[in-house]
Amino acid sequence: MIQPQTHLNVADNSGARELMCIRVIGASNHRYAHIGDVIVAVIKEAVPNTPLERSEVIRAVIVRTSKELKRDNSMIMRYDDNAAVVIDQEGNPKGTRIFGVIARELRQLNFTKIVSLSA
Amino acid sequence: MAVSTTTALSIGGNVFSGQLRRWELNESKLFQKPRSHFRWLCLNDLHLLRFRIKTLNFNPRGSLLPSLYAYGKEADDAYLSNVNEDTDEMFDDLMKKYGEVVFTKNDRKSSSAELDDDAESLSFAVEMAKVASDVKAGDIRVLFVKPLVYWTRFFIIATAFSRPQIDAIGSRIRDLAEKKYGKIPSGDTKPNSWTLLDFGDVVIHIFLPQQRAFYNLEEFYGNATLIEVPSENQPPFHS
Repeated sequence: MIQPQTHLNVADNSGARELMCIRVIGASNHRYAHIGDVIVAVIKEAVPNTPLERSEVIRAVIVRTSKELKRDNSMIMRYDDNAAVVIDQEGNPKGTRIFGVIARELRQLNFTKIVSLSA
Repeated sequence: MAVSTTTALSIGGNVFSGQLRRWELNESKLFQKPRSHFRWLCLNDLHLLRFRIKTLNFNPRGSLLPSLYAYGKEADDAYLSNVNEDTDEMFDDLMKKYGEVVFTKNDRKSSSAELDDDAESLSFAVEMAKVASDVKAGDIRVLFVKPLVYWTRFFIIATAFSRPQIDAIGSRIRDLAEKKYGKIPSGDTKPNSWTLLDFGDVVIHIFLPQQRAFYNLEEFYGNATLIEVPSENQPPFHS
Protein backbone atom coordinates (compact mmCIF):
# COMPACT_ATOMS: atom_id res chain seq x y z
CA MET A 1 0.00 0.00 0.00
CA ILE A 2 2.34 2.66 -1.25
CA GLN A 3 1.05 6.17 -1.67
CA PRO A 4 2.66 9.56 -2.22
CA GLN A 5 5.04 10.48 0.61
CA THR A 6 5.88 6.82 1.26
CA HIS A 7 9.57 6.12 1.69
CA LEU A 8 10.86 2.98 0.05
CA ASN A 9 14.16 1.17 0.10
CA VAL A 10 15.90 0.54 -3.17
CA ALA A 11 16.51 -3.09 -4.01
CA ASP A 12 19.14 -2.69 -6.70
CA ASN A 13 22.61 -1.26 -7.23
CA SER A 14 21.52 1.71 -9.29
CA GLY A 15 22.95 4.19 -6.79
CA ALA A 16 19.82 5.31 -4.98
CA ARG A 17 19.28 4.25 -1.38
CA GLU A 18 15.90 5.63 -0.47
CA LEU A 19 13.01 6.89 -2.55
CA MET A 20 9.91 8.81 -1.72
CA CYS A 21 6.86 8.07 -3.80
CA ILE A 22 5.31 11.04 -5.53
CA ARG A 23 2.69 9.46 -7.73
CA VAL A 24 1.26 6.08 -8.62
CA ILE A 25 1.28 5.62 -12.41
CA GLY A 26 -1.94 4.62 -14.08
CA ALA A 27 -4.18 5.61 -11.23
CA SER A 28 -6.29 8.50 -10.22
CA ASN A 29 -5.95 10.06 -6.79
CA HIS A 30 -6.53 7.90 -3.71
CA ARG A 31 -5.12 4.74 -5.10
CA TYR A 32 -2.48 2.70 -3.38
CA ALA A 33 0.34 1.02 -5.22
CA HIS A 34 1.15 -2.63 -4.63
CA ILE A 35 3.80 -5.02 -5.83
CA GLY A 36 4.24 -4.66 -9.58
CA ASP A 37 2.98 -1.10 -9.86
CA VAL A 38 5.13 1.62 -11.34
CA ILE A 39 5.53 4.78 -9.29
CA VAL A 40 7.17 8.13 -9.83
CA ALA A 41 9.58 8.78 -7.00
CA VAL A 42 12.19 11.26 -5.91
CA ILE A 43 15.54 10.07 -4.62
CA LYS A 44 15.93 11.00 -0.98
CA GLU A 45 19.27 9.35 -0.37
CA ALA A 46 21.87 8.19 -2.84
CA VAL A 47 25.22 6.45 -2.80
CA PRO A 48 27.98 8.95 -3.69
CA ASN A 49 29.72 8.80 -7.07
CA THR A 50 26.91 7.09 -8.96
CA PRO A 51 24.88 8.34 -11.91
CA LEU A 52 21.81 8.88 -9.71
CA GLU A 53 21.75 11.81 -7.32
CA ARG A 54 19.60 13.04 -4.50
CA SER A 55 16.38 14.88 -5.46
CA GLU A 56 16.26 13.34 -8.90
CA VAL A 57 12.83 12.30 -10.12
CA ILE A 58 12.75 8.74 -11.46
CA ARG A 59 10.38 5.88 -12.04
CA ALA A 60 10.44 2.72 -10.00
CA VAL A 61 8.67 -0.62 -9.73
CA ILE A 62 7.57 -1.83 -6.33
CA VAL A 63 8.98 -5.25 -5.52
CA ARG A 64 8.26 -5.69 -1.81
CA THR A 65 5.57 -4.29 0.43
CA SER A 66 4.78 -4.56 4.08
CA LYS A 67 1.17 -4.92 3.11
CA GLU A 68 0.25 -8.53 2.38
CA LEU A 69 0.18 -9.86 -1.14
CA LYS A 70 -2.54 -12.42 -1.68
CA ARG A 71 -2.25 -15.26 -4.14
CA ASP A 72 -4.97 -17.30 -5.74
CA ASN A 73 -4.00 -20.37 -3.80
CA SER A 74 -4.82 -18.33 -0.65
CA MET A 75 -1.17 -17.95 0.27
CA ILE A 76 -0.34 -14.60 1.80
CA MET A 77 3.09 -13.01 1.65
CA ARG A 78 4.21 -10.08 3.69
CA TYR A 79 7.70 -8.59 3.66
CA ASP A 80 9.47 -6.62 6.33
CA ASP A 81 10.00 -3.51 4.26
CA ASN A 82 8.79 -1.58 1.23
CA ALA A 83 11.25 -1.76 -1.63
CA ALA A 84 11.41 -0.70 -5.25
CA VAL A 85 13.69 -1.10 -8.24
CA VAL A 86 14.61 1.99 -10.26
CA ILE A 87 13.68 1.74 -13.94
CA ASP A 88 13.99 4.05 -16.90
CA GLN A 89 11.34 5.27 -19.32
CA GLU A 90 11.63 2.15 -21.47
CA GLY A 91 11.12 -0.12 -18.49
CA ASN A 92 14.69 -1.37 -18.21
CA PRO A 93 16.15 -1.49 -14.72
CA LYS A 94 18.81 1.12 -14.09
CA GLY A 95 20.89 -1.11 -11.85
CA THR A 96 22.59 -4.33 -12.86
CA ARG A 97 21.73 -6.52 -9.90
CA ILE A 98 18.65 -6.81 -7.73
CA PHE A 99 18.98 -7.56 -4.03
CA GLY A 100 16.62 -9.36 -1.76
CA VAL A 101 13.63 -11.56 -2.40
CA ILE A 102 11.40 -10.93 -5.41
CA ALA A 103 7.85 -12.22 -5.66
CA ARG A 104 7.04 -14.30 -8.69
CA GLU A 105 4.11 -12.05 -9.50
CA LEU A 106 6.57 -9.69 -11.14
CA ARG A 107 7.14 -12.17 -13.92
CA GLN A 108 3.49 -12.29 -14.77
CA LEU A 109 3.35 -8.52 -14.77
CA ASN A 110 6.00 -8.37 -17.53
CA PHE A 111 8.93 -7.50 -15.30
CA THR A 112 10.90 -10.61 -16.21
CA LYS A 113 13.98 -8.42 -16.62
CA ILE A 114 13.95 -7.64 -12.93
CA VAL A 115 13.42 -11.30 -12.07
CA SER A 116 16.31 -12.35 -14.31
CA LEU A 117 18.65 -9.89 -12.59
CA SER A 118 17.79 -11.10 -9.11
CA ALA A 119 19.50 -14.03 -7.44
CA MET B 1 -22.54 -26.13 41.22
CA ALA B 2 -20.39 -23.29 40.08
CA VAL B 3 -17.16 -22.75 41.89
CA SER B 4 -16.21 -19.15 41.97
CA THR B 5 -12.80 -17.91 42.98
CA THR B 6 -11.39 -14.44 43.17
CA THR B 7 -8.06 -14.12 41.51
CA ALA B 8 -5.93 -11.37 40.11
CA LEU B 9 -4.90 -11.98 36.52
CA SER B 10 -2.48 -9.98 34.53
CA ILE B 11 -3.16 -9.99 30.86
CA GLY B 12 -0.87 -7.95 28.71
CA GLY B 13 0.39 -5.96 31.64
CA ASN B 14 -3.08 -4.92 32.78
CA VAL B 15 -4.25 -6.37 36.02
CA PHE B 16 -7.83 -7.54 36.37
CA SER B 17 -9.29 -8.94 39.45
CA GLY B 18 -12.54 -10.68 39.26
CA GLN B 19 -14.52 -13.74 39.74
CA LEU B 20 -13.76 -16.79 37.72
CA ARG B 21 -16.30 -19.48 37.38
CA ARG B 22 -15.73 -23.04 36.46
CA TRP B 23 -14.19 -22.94 33.10
CA GLU B 24 -13.68 -26.41 31.82
CA LEU B 25 -16.76 -26.03 29.72
CA ASN B 26 -15.88 -22.59 28.42
CA GLU B 27 -12.30 -23.47 27.81
CA SER B 28 -12.74 -25.35 24.60
CA LYS B 29 -14.88 -22.62 23.08
CA LEU B 30 -12.77 -19.67 24.15
CA PHE B 31 -9.52 -21.10 22.96
CA GLN B 32 -10.64 -22.58 19.73
CA LYS B 33 -9.47 -19.48 17.92
CA PRO B 34 -5.74 -19.50 18.69
CA ARG B 35 -5.60 -23.20 18.13
CA SER B 36 -7.16 -23.14 14.72
CA HIS B 37 -4.86 -20.27 13.72
CA PHE B 38 -1.92 -22.38 14.69
CA ARG B 39 -3.06 -25.38 12.73
CA TRP B 40 -3.56 -23.22 9.65
CA LEU B 41 -0.02 -21.98 10.00
CA CYS B 42 1.25 -25.54 10.11
CA LEU B 43 -0.51 -26.52 6.94
CA ASN B 44 1.11 -23.77 4.89
CA ASP B 45 4.84 -23.52 4.43
CA LEU B 46 6.36 -23.63 7.85
CA HIS B 47 9.40 -21.70 6.67
CA LEU B 48 7.23 -18.68 5.95
CA LEU B 49 6.76 -18.33 9.67
CA ARG B 50 10.43 -17.51 10.00
CA PHE B 51 9.74 -14.19 8.32
CA ARG B 52 6.81 -13.06 10.33
CA ILE B 53 4.80 -14.54 13.11
CA LYS B 54 2.02 -12.09 13.61
CA THR B 55 -1.05 -14.22 13.94
CA LEU B 56 0.02 -15.85 17.20
CA ASN B 57 -0.92 -13.65 20.15
CA PHE B 58 2.12 -12.63 22.12
CA ASN B 59 1.80 -10.42 25.14
CA PRO B 60 4.50 -7.78 25.73
CA ARG B 61 6.54 -10.22 27.78
CA GLY B 62 6.90 -12.39 24.74
CA SER B 63 5.15 -15.52 25.93
CA LEU B 64 2.01 -16.82 24.34
CA LEU B 65 -1.16 -15.35 25.72
CA PRO B 66 -2.95 -18.65 26.39
CA SER B 67 -0.26 -19.51 28.90
CA LEU B 68 -2.45 -18.10 31.62
CA TYR B 69 -5.10 -20.73 31.19
CA ALA B 70 -4.98 -24.22 32.50
CA TYR B 71 -4.78 -27.05 30.04
CA GLY B 72 -5.38 -30.68 30.62
CA LYS B 73 -2.89 -33.31 29.69
CA GLU B 74 -4.87 -34.50 26.72
CA ALA B 75 -2.97 -34.88 23.47
CA ASP B 76 -4.98 -32.09 21.87
CA ASP B 77 -3.43 -29.43 24.05
CA ALA B 78 0.01 -30.95 24.39
CA TYR B 79 1.63 -28.61 21.91
CA LEU B 80 0.74 -25.58 23.97
CA SER B 81 1.88 -27.04 27.26
CA ASN B 82 5.44 -25.65 27.27
CA VAL B 83 4.59 -22.20 26.14
CA ASN B 84 7.36 -20.43 27.96
CA GLU B 85 10.08 -22.11 25.91
CA ASP B 86 11.48 -20.88 22.65
CA THR B 87 9.25 -21.01 19.60
CA ASP B 88 11.94 -22.99 17.82
CA GLU B 89 11.60 -25.77 20.31
CA MET B 90 7.88 -25.62 19.84
CA PHE B 91 8.34 -26.14 16.13
CA ASP B 92 10.73 -29.00 16.71
CA ASP B 93 8.20 -30.70 18.91
CA LEU B 94 5.54 -30.22 16.28
CA MET B 95 7.77 -31.67 13.62
CA LYS B 96 8.53 -34.70 15.74
CA LYS B 97 4.88 -35.19 16.40
CA TYR B 98 3.48 -34.67 12.93
CA GLY B 99 6.51 -35.41 10.81
CA GLU B 100 8.55 -33.05 8.65
CA VAL B 101 6.18 -33.00 5.75
CA VAL B 102 2.64 -32.11 6.63
CA PHE B 103 1.39 -31.15 3.20
CA THR B 104 2.70 -31.81 -0.30
CA LYS B 105 1.38 -30.57 -3.57
CA ASN B 106 1.34 -33.41 -6.06
CA ASP B 107 2.70 -31.38 -8.93
CA ARG B 108 6.20 -32.83 -9.03
CA LYS B 109 6.76 -34.73 -12.24
CA SER B 110 8.84 -37.85 -12.38
CA SER B 111 12.43 -37.40 -13.47
CA SER B 112 11.88 -39.00 -16.87
CA ALA B 113 8.98 -36.65 -17.60
CA GLU B 114 11.20 -33.74 -16.53
CA LEU B 115 13.90 -34.85 -18.94
CA ASP B 116 11.38 -35.06 -21.75
CA ASP B 117 10.25 -31.55 -20.98
CA ASP B 118 13.85 -30.41 -20.92
CA ALA B 119 14.50 -31.97 -24.31
CA GLU B 120 11.41 -30.32 -25.73
CA SER B 121 12.43 -26.91 -24.41
CA LEU B 122 15.95 -27.49 -25.69
CA SER B 123 14.75 -28.14 -29.22
CA PHE B 124 12.58 -25.05 -29.03
CA ALA B 125 15.50 -22.98 -27.77
CA VAL B 126 17.86 -24.23 -30.46
CA GLU B 127 15.27 -23.47 -33.12
CA MET B 128 14.87 -19.92 -31.85
CA ALA B 129 18.63 -19.49 -31.77
CA LYS B 130 18.78 -20.56 -35.39
CA VAL B 131 16.15 -17.99 -36.33
CA ALA B 132 18.16 -15.32 -34.56
CA SER B 133 21.29 -16.30 -36.43
CA ASP B 134 19.36 -16.10 -39.71
CA VAL B 135 18.73 -12.44 -39.00
CA LYS B 136 22.46 -11.99 -38.30
CA ALA B 137 22.26 -11.53 -34.55
CA GLY B 138 25.64 -11.51 -32.87
CA ASP B 139 27.09 -13.95 -30.38
CA ILE B 140 24.07 -16.09 -29.63
CA ARG B 141 24.39 -18.06 -26.43
CA VAL B 142 21.99 -20.68 -25.14
CA LEU B 143 22.35 -21.28 -21.41
CA PHE B 144 20.82 -24.08 -19.41
CA VAL B 145 19.79 -22.27 -16.25
CA LYS B 146 17.43 -24.82 -14.72
CA PRO B 147 19.77 -25.76 -11.86
CA LEU B 148 20.25 -22.10 -10.98
CA VAL B 149 16.80 -20.67 -11.38
CA TYR B 150 13.40 -22.10 -10.59
CA TRP B 151 11.29 -20.11 -12.99
CA THR B 152 12.70 -21.11 -16.36
CA ARG B 153 14.86 -23.68 -18.13
CA PHE B 154 16.81 -21.98 -20.89
CA PHE B 155 18.10 -18.52 -21.59
CA ILE B 156 18.97 -17.33 -25.07
CA ILE B 157 21.11 -14.21 -25.14
CA ALA B 158 21.70 -12.46 -28.45
CA THR B 159 23.08 -9.15 -29.61
CA ALA B 160 21.42 -7.03 -32.24
CA PHE B 161 23.27 -4.08 -33.66
CA SER B 162 20.37 -1.72 -34.26
CA ARG B 163 16.82 -1.25 -33.08
CA PRO B 164 15.20 -2.30 -36.38
CA GLN B 165 17.25 -5.48 -36.13
CA ILE B 166 15.92 -6.12 -32.64
CA ASP B 167 12.46 -5.60 -34.03
CA ALA B 168 13.16 -8.03 -36.87
CA ILE B 169 14.58 -10.74 -34.60
CA GLY B 170 11.70 -10.33 -32.19
CA SER B 171 9.00 -10.54 -34.80
CA ARG B 172 10.57 -13.53 -36.55
CA ILE B 173 10.90 -15.44 -33.30
CA ARG B 174 7.36 -14.60 -32.36
CA ASP B 175 5.98 -15.71 -35.73
CA LEU B 176 7.86 -18.98 -35.76
CA ALA B 177 6.94 -19.80 -32.19
CA GLU B 178 3.30 -19.14 -32.85
CA LYS B 179 3.15 -20.99 -36.14
CA LYS B 180 5.18 -24.02 -35.26
CA TYR B 181 4.77 -24.43 -31.51
CA GLY B 182 1.69 -22.37 -30.77
CA LYS B 183 3.45 -20.42 -28.02
CA ILE B 184 2.85 -16.75 -27.50
CA PRO B 185 5.50 -14.84 -25.58
CA SER B 186 4.91 -12.33 -22.86
CA GLY B 187 7.44 -9.56 -22.50
CA ASP B 188 8.28 -6.54 -24.58
CA THR B 189 6.13 -5.75 -27.55
CA LYS B 190 7.78 -2.43 -28.44
CA PRO B 191 11.43 -2.62 -29.43
CA ASN B 192 13.64 -1.77 -26.52
CA SER B 193 17.38 -1.65 -26.06
CA TRP B 194 16.91 -4.82 -24.02
CA THR B 195 14.04 -6.80 -25.52
CA LEU B 196 12.86 -9.79 -23.59
CA LEU B 197 10.62 -12.58 -24.89
CA ASP B 198 9.31 -14.90 -22.23
CA PHE B 199 8.12 -18.29 -23.47
CA GLY B 200 7.77 -19.86 -20.07
CA ASP B 201 10.52 -22.46 -20.22
CA VAL B 202 12.69 -20.38 -22.49
CA VAL B 203 13.51 -16.71 -22.03
CA ILE B 204 15.11 -14.82 -24.89
CA HIS B 205 17.16 -11.67 -24.25
CA ILE B 206 18.02 -9.44 -27.17
CA PHE B 207 20.47 -6.69 -26.30
CA LEU B 208 22.14 -3.79 -27.98
CA PRO B 209 25.92 -4.07 -27.56
CA GLN B 210 26.18 -1.45 -24.81
CA GLN B 211 23.32 -3.00 -22.80
CA ARG B 212 24.85 -6.41 -23.07
CA ALA B 213 28.08 -5.15 -21.61
CA PHE B 214 26.23 -3.14 -18.98
CA TYR B 215 24.00 -5.91 -17.63
CA ASN B 216 26.51 -8.70 -18.19
CA LEU B 217 24.07 -11.56 -17.79
CA GLU B 218 26.67 -14.13 -18.82
CA GLU B 219 28.70 -13.30 -15.76
CA PHE B 220 25.66 -13.44 -13.52
CA TYR B 221 24.72 -16.86 -14.89
CA GLY B 222 28.30 -17.98 -15.21
CA ASN B 223 27.52 -21.30 -13.59
CA ALA B 224 25.01 -22.22 -16.26
CA THR B 225 26.07 -24.79 -18.83
CA LEU B 226 26.45 -23.41 -22.30
CA ILE B 227 24.65 -25.33 -25.05
CA GLU B 228 26.42 -25.68 -28.39
CA VAL B 229 24.43 -24.21 -31.22
CA PRO B 230 25.44 -24.99 -34.79
CA SER B 231 25.73 -21.48 -36.16
CA GLU B 232 27.10 -20.06 -39.37
CA ASN B 233 29.98 -17.66 -39.05
CA GLN B 234 28.94 -15.07 -36.51
CA PRO B 235 31.07 -12.04 -35.60
CA PRO B 236 32.38 -12.85 -32.10
CA PHE B 237 31.18 -10.37 -29.52
CA HIS B 238 33.93 -9.03 -27.39
CA SER B 239 32.59 -8.86 -23.84
